[in-house]
Formats: sequence, C-alpha cells, structure tokens
Amino acid sequence: MSRRYDQKTTTFTPDGRLKQVEYALEAINKTGSAIGVLTQEGMILCTEKQEVSHLLEQQKHSEKIYELDKHIFSVVSGLAADANQLIDYAREAAQKYRLVYQENIPLEQLIIRICDIKQYYTQHGGQRPYGTAFLFAGYDKDNGFQLFSTDPSGNYAGWKATAIGQNNLAANSFLKQEYKEDLTLDQGLNVAIKALVKTMDTSSPQPSKIEIVLISKADKNVKSKTLTEAEVLALLKANGFNNEAQQE
Amino acid sequence: MSGIFEYNGGSIVGMKGKNCIALACDRRFGQQMQTITMNFQKVFKMQDNILLALGGLATDIQTFHALMEYKLNLYNLKENRKMKPSTFANLVASSLYERRFSPFFVSPIVAGLEEGKPVLATYDSIGCTSDLDNFQVGGTASDQQNINFILPSIYGACESFFKPDLSPEELEEVLAQALVSGCDRDAASGWGGLVYVMTEKNITIKFLKTKQT
Repeated sequence: MSRRYDQKTTTFTPDGRLKQVEYALEAINKTGSAIGVLTQEGMILCTEKQEVSHLLEQQKHSEKIYELDKHIFSVVSGLAADANQLIDYAREAAQKYRLVYQENIPLEQLIIRICDIKQYYTQHGGQRPYGTAFLFAGYDKDNGFQLFSTDPSGNYAGWKATAIGQNNLAANSFLKQEYKEDLTLDQGLNVAIKALVKTMDTSSPQPSKIEIVLISKADKNVKSKTLTEAEVLALLKANGFNNEAQQE
Repeated sequence: MSGIFEYNGGSIVGMKGKNCIALACDRRFGQQMQTITMNFQKVFKMQDNILLALGGLATDIQTFHALMEYKLNLYNLKENRKMKPSTFANLVASSLYERRFSPFFVSPIVAGLEEGKPVLATYDSIGCTSDLDNFQVGGTASDQQNINFILPSIYGACESFFKPDLSPEELEEVLAQALVSGCDRDAASGWGGLVYVMTEKNITIKFLKTKQT
C-alpha cells in the first residue's frame, strides 16, 4: 500500500484503513500473549512474560496482570509503558465512579472510558496510538462475570474465551474447538494453559515465564488467586507439558 | 445552637491504651433541635488497623469518608501495599488542607495500631494535626466551638478516668463512661453510643445506652 498514508495517524488510506493502528497491532503481536477464559464458576487470565533473566529483580507484584478495582482485573499485551498510563487512568476512573455512586463500576463502563482514550489518539493531535491491547475480566452484579478485549483502535468486544498478542491466531482456533459453555473453573484452567502453550515455541515452557490469575466469587466479594510457580508447574505437567522440566 | 459545626450535632472521642486503642461516638443525626435518626454512622473502618471517626456537618462526614476511601483504594492499587496508620493520619491532614479556603466542616479523629503501638490523631477542619495526647475529642459535647457556654465536656470525663496503659476492657469502660457523661449533658449528642476497641487481633464494638433525649 502507499507509504504516503501511514505517517499521520489521522489519515485514512484510499482503501479505508488507518495504517498507524495496524502498525500498533504489529507491535502488540510481537509481545507475549494473553489468554482469557470465562466459565460459570469464574474466570482465568493467563499470560506469558517476555524476557526472564536471572539478573532481573523479582517483583513483588505481577508484571502483566493488574488489579483495577476489587472486582476487575486486566492483562496487558503490547508496550508496557503505554499500558501503565492506561492502567493508572482506569484505576482513577473506577474510584471516581465509586465516589459518585458508592458502587462498583460496571465492567463495560470502565472499558468504554479506556477505549474512548485509545480512540482519541486515532483521530486527533497527530500523536501515535497506544500500542496496547488489554483483556479485562471482572464481575458486576447486573451482568455477572464478563471478559472483554480492547485494541489500539479503541474497539472492544465481549468474549467467552479469547487470546491476544503473539500467535493469537493459533490460540484462538484452539479455543474455538475446545471451549465449552459448561466448563468448571478447573477445566477452564486446563483449556487456558493449553491455549497459552500453543502460542509459545516450546512445549516445555518455564513456569517462571507464565502468570495465571483465577477470579471467582465468594459470597458478595470477588476474590482472586495468583498461582505460584509450583502450582503453574503442576498445572503444566498435568496437561502433558514439561515432562522433563527444568526449574528456574 | 448556631454554627455549622453544631447543626447536625454529634460527639466523638478516642483514647490510647496498652497496645490497644478505642474510639467512641454517639448515634444522633439531627437538624438543630430535631432528631432525624438514631443510627447515623460516624466511625468508619478504613482498614483492619485504621479507624476514622468524624464529627461535624453530616453531609461532610459522608463525603469526606468517601474521599478517604477513594484515596486509600488508589494507594493500595498503585503501591500494592496497605497504608500505615501514621501515613493515613497524614493523608487526612493534607486532604483537609486541599480545601483550605472552602473546608469540610468535620472534626476527624484517626485511630490505629502500628506495629502494636497505638496511633491517635485529631484535626481542626483545615488539617492542623494534633497527635501527642493520650485522648482526643471532637464534636459538640467536647469543648470546641461552644464559646458562649461552659459545658460539661467529654474532656473533663476523660481527664478524670484516664490512666496510662489501660487494658482493652478497661479502656472500653473508661471511654464508655466519658462518652455517656458528655453526651447526656449535651442536647445535640446522644441517642445511643458505640465504642470501638481495636487490638492486634480484632475490633470489638459495644453499644451504649445513653439518655434517650
């Protein structure tokens, strides 16, 4: 396509495309993938971290999975610095809603606020779009558990199961076959980890490169559990991976 | 009772003990001489080891509490840790000063336990912090604002009954006596009381009967 139309974000190409948005998607598809699965009992978010070096300091909290409010979690794919900005904004937006209405912000409302910002940078200012795609998982009392994905254009969609980032086509076709509506949380976890490994080059991934969060409800509260490295390894082995595992 | 701080009535008091701390409040919510409800919440649990009591104008009590929840939640999410009571005490002071020229009409008391040691702080409505005393009061049955009257005050009862290093049970009894004697003499406070006693293990809540007038 003509290179004339890919410099300014605010210009359409003759065949109706926004090149900068597509290039942002290219950036995202080079980074570690993220998978989300929705079940009746709760949700699973899992992701692959990129470079895990011995020299990196262990962070106390997750690198790619963020809590936005007590009832909403998200996984990031793409540029981490861009994501941090939007995560901070999302956290403030959720609290502002709570200040006004004394209620949890409905998941879709939060996503709309973030997507409106993403869309802004595809239409104004001559600045590049955000190079991030998110998966949002959360619970609100009107709509139950929900899973959404967002992309640099500011579009969002609700899913039962989806993948973003590296090799998401492979993961998505796997999910299309294996996902069933009546999965339990444990079954959903197995589906999610298999889909994640599909996006990787190896069938013996290092557990330290994988982050998994389970989101479920206990009474009125949403609770989350992050799997430890040992639990991730056990999960991998139970699904037929890592049979001669090297521990990091 | 003129004055914006006396409009809704209400009194609060906090006291330090040995590795424990207690806050007490009355339950009245009124509009000048009329009592509207007898179950108005003035003490809020911000965290397992932080209590925030607010006296003063009822609408500002609710709004200021919501604002503190907002700031505390964002702190937890961004810094990925709980807030220390002394940090929260500073947050209250700076949040009050943010409204230096259009203040919240509240008299806050922050009570917490930090590494086993009690933390107690009280403020004026624009954030002047006072955290050196062993007990603090706020509201209409204290000695503030009522310059035209010499009212028996909770302060007097506290001074009489306070001893250093009280146990949780003794602290509860002392604070209950202080609150009840102050509120019974104050037309704008009363209609029941609550004492919150915080120890390392838990927070107990005791309901007090005051004169029902």
